[in-house]
Amino acid sequence: MKSAWGWFLLTPPLVLALVFFVVPLVYLFWVSLHASSTSELYGAALTLRNYTDVLGDSFYLTIVRRTLGVAAVILGLCLVIGYPVAYFVALLPVRRRMLAILLLLFPLMVSNVVRAYGWVSLLERRGVVNTTLRDLHLIDAPLDLLYTPSAVVIALMTILLPYMVISIANTLAALDRRYQEAAQALGASPLRTFLHVTLPLSTPGVASGTLLVFLLTLSAYVTITLLGGPRSKLLVSLIYDSVTAFQWPRAAALAFVLLALALAFTGLILALLRPGRVQGAAR
Amino acid sequence: MNAVGSDMQHPADVQLVGVRKRFGAVAAVNDVSVDIERGTIFSLLGPSGCGKTTTLRLVAGFEQPDAGDVYIRGARVTSMPPYRRDFSMVFQSYALFPHLTVAENVAFGLRMRRVARGDRARSVDEALELVKLRALADRYPRQLSGGQQQRVALARAIVVKPAVLLLDEPLGALDKLLREEMQVELRSLQQRLGITAVFVTHDQEEALTLSDRVAVMRNGVIEQIGAPREIYDRPRNAFVASFLGASNFIDGVVVGREAASIVVETPVTRVSVPGDKASGERVRIAVRPERLRMARADAQGLPATIRDIVYRGPVTHFYMDSASGPLLAYQQNARAGDWTIGDEVRCAWDPDSAVVLDGARE
Amino acid sequence: MKVELTAGPMLRGAATIVAFALIVVPIVIVVVAAFSPNDYFQFPPPGLSIRWFVEFFGLQTMRSAFALSIELALASATIATILGTFAALFLARRHGAIAALLQSLFLAPLVFPTIILGVALLLLYKTIGMPVFPGLLLAHCVVGLPYGFRTVLASAQALDPALEEAGQSLGADPLRTLFLVTLPLIWPGVLSGWLFAFIVSFGELNTALFLTGPGVTTLPIEIFSYLQFQGSQLVIAAASSVQIALIVILVAVIERVVGIARITRAR
Repeated sequence: MKSAWGWFLLTPPLVLALVFFVVPLVYLFWVSLHASSTSELYGAALTLRNYTDVLGDSFYLTIVRRTLGVAAVILGLCLVIGYPVAYFVALLPVRRRMLAILLLLFPLMVSNVVRAYGWVSLLERRGVVNTTLRDLHLIDAPLDLLYTPSAVVIALMTILLPYMVISIANTLAALDRRYQEAAQALGASPLRTFLHVTLPLSTPGVASGTLLVFLLTLSAYVTITLLGGPRSKLLVSLIYDSVTAFQWPRAAALAFVLLALALAFTGLILALLRPGRVQGAAR
Repeated sequence: MNAVGSDMQHPADVQLVGVRKRFGAVAAVNDVSVDIERGTIFSLLGPSGCGKTTTLRLVAGFEQPDAGDVYIRGARVTSMPPYRRDFSMVFQSYALFPHLTVAENVAFGLRMRRVARGDRARSVDEALELVKLRALADRYPRQLSGGQQQRVALARAIVVKPAVLLLDEPLGALDKLLREEMQVELRSLQQRLGITAVFVTHDQEEALTLSDRVAVMRNGVIEQIGAPREIYDRPRNAFVASFLGASNFIDGVVVGREAASIVVETPVTRVSVPGDKASGERVRIAVRPERLRMARADAQGLPATIRDIVYRGPVTHFYMDSASGPLLAYQQNARAGDWTIGDEVRCAWDPDSAVVLDGARE
Repeated sequence: MKVELTAGPMLRGAATIVAFALIVVPIVIVVVAAFSPNDYFQFPPPGLSIRWFVEFFGLQTMRSAFALSIELALASATIATILGTFAALFLARRHGAIAALLQSLFLAPLVFPTIILGVALLLLYKTIGMPVFPGLLLAHCVVGLPYGFRTVLASAQALDPALEEAGQSLGADPLRTLFLVTLPLIWPGVLSGWLFAFIVSFGELNTALFLTGPGVTTLPIEIFSYLQFQGSQLVIAAASSVQIALIVILVAVIERVVGIARITRAR
């Protein structure tokens, strides 16, 4: 009886997850191992050419390098700005902290296209920044702020910042204050307490925030396209282009290269930060 | 069918036959067979991890046995899910539905049995009256004290007139005074309604107070079953003896027999004990502290020296050392003698007060 | 010593102000632009006008995209929450390696790059000939499943297991126990899961990018296409503001119904 009821509960979500999540990805990988075809979705021959082409071609490697570079800058900015903000939020009394987190959650719920459009309005030639600077007579001609990697960086950074702040703030808020008190009782100054106690104990939040920001940077097609334009393409743009050109095996291979980057980075962060060793530090 | 104490004229309401249950490598319940008579209170007593709660849950159907059968009122319920068995349960955490009022909680079981609304309201009223909580019928559980919640849980369980009422450490969360009060109420309620009840407890005083019969369990096995007085006065082994209360243990060798007694030679003295063992066997006898009499050094008995004296209100505890090991005696203060630490005494007891323990089942 | 003590909090306060400004300003700009009476955005705005909203609702493409987004969000949130609830009820009291694996599976769409999922699903749909709307709906169900699952799981695990056993001991079979005992006690988790799934679907881009088609577009994709091919026009600001307004209303509703504590812990 118990097992029949169990199956009744498990089967529908399991079917959804398997058929429309796992299966398509496996299929996509399968297709990435085939040759291209002009008449059908993909050719009959099995080949690794899609991967070797990508990894051997300097054009693709440049894009990958640019993608990683952009991601690194965004990550760095999110950490540098996000950590102090998270610390501030974590120190707030409970009700105000929850309000702060709600204020951070709200922008995340607004679609990325809207937030990217906000930046377009700010940075375009007739946009707020240029108009204000001209009105203040600081410049004569409008600056070309849009359609550069920097535009992508600043827009994406502000879009993803809340993820970093919330991750770290939640971890910091859950930390037992007594650890810091113990350190100070042992003679550590506030700075040293932070460096040797608080910071290491906040690793789980830093790790999850970092991973989230990185993963989302890799896949933020709309923001990258709207703010980067045709000359600042990143890896995800190439995937989209391949799909619109019906080059499925290429698109598939690029997708898995993206995924491989994500996995490699995840492994790197988990190995570097080792968030698992601070389990149980929460109150 | 293994029947321990069953009487053919009064069929058992609950029967467990050769029941086993393991969790991983641990045998939580290891070949347990029990008959519980209709209208009696039966308790499962033992330390944590002895299998008493698992046994209760096997009767309820929240666990399935690996082997053996469970019967309720003669029907084999082993493979029946809990909601089809004729029982109800009072949980340790009371498990009152937070989203229902007291009255709705009590009515729940009747709703499941499709009792008509009018009859339902009447029965709920009666049940609440029995536990003296009629005035709180429209409150929510979070508005009640622990003792009140416990009574609502009880009312909810008895209103459906189950074949058997199961209780899982029902009084564990209450303070001492409330617990003793509830023990008396529980017993009178059960007797008034004539419900068969099985409850689990680790408190031996509670088991002795409430039960008609007690099963003492250890490591998944029933060490002894019997009426409270029987297992208290005549424990079968050292574990049961110690679990039900303090006990003095004196080792010796059987040197002879006299009628229904054996003569046991202890390191210091020779005593007569009711029992039946072969000559030459090593035995351990147990004597309850309240049965150990203390006399001056010139009297007959086991020599001992008083090590410590602890005043306990109605009685005083005397901790003594002897060649047979440490001894403990309780003396009622109304008739106490004048003892001080260091005094030499002689300890004796009525032959009937001593019990020979199963040395093998240590 | 004094410098050390005040530098920290000052820096943090400054960083917070900067951060909140950077995060919120773009959104505020969009809303302000939507009320602009002119053809272009001017700051400070010379006046207020709703002409762009009128135009937004006047454009058939925008209207149908908005309607589709709502339908899609309603349907996918409901399905995702029902399935997520089933999964949560199944896994609430189960432990062990398989249970952990299943839990990871149901939470995976949260961290998995949905753009890759979009590509994969499009490929699959083309191969098997899946019609557009059902395909998009299923994609959003997958994306929304973790949201329906996570909050319900937390609620179900917080429930005293004795409550369900009490229901059974009184004669309620699993189905009745579910409706009379479990659901009444976990409904805040179910509701907040539904609301998150709705919001996510309404603003979702990455799978919709690939899975929408002629006549079947969502509002975010419509805004994106407009931006790409017709430049920055203020009707988009209106469209965006409509989306923002909907989010604000929904967040206010969640807060009122399940309380701020539950939302902030849900993340």
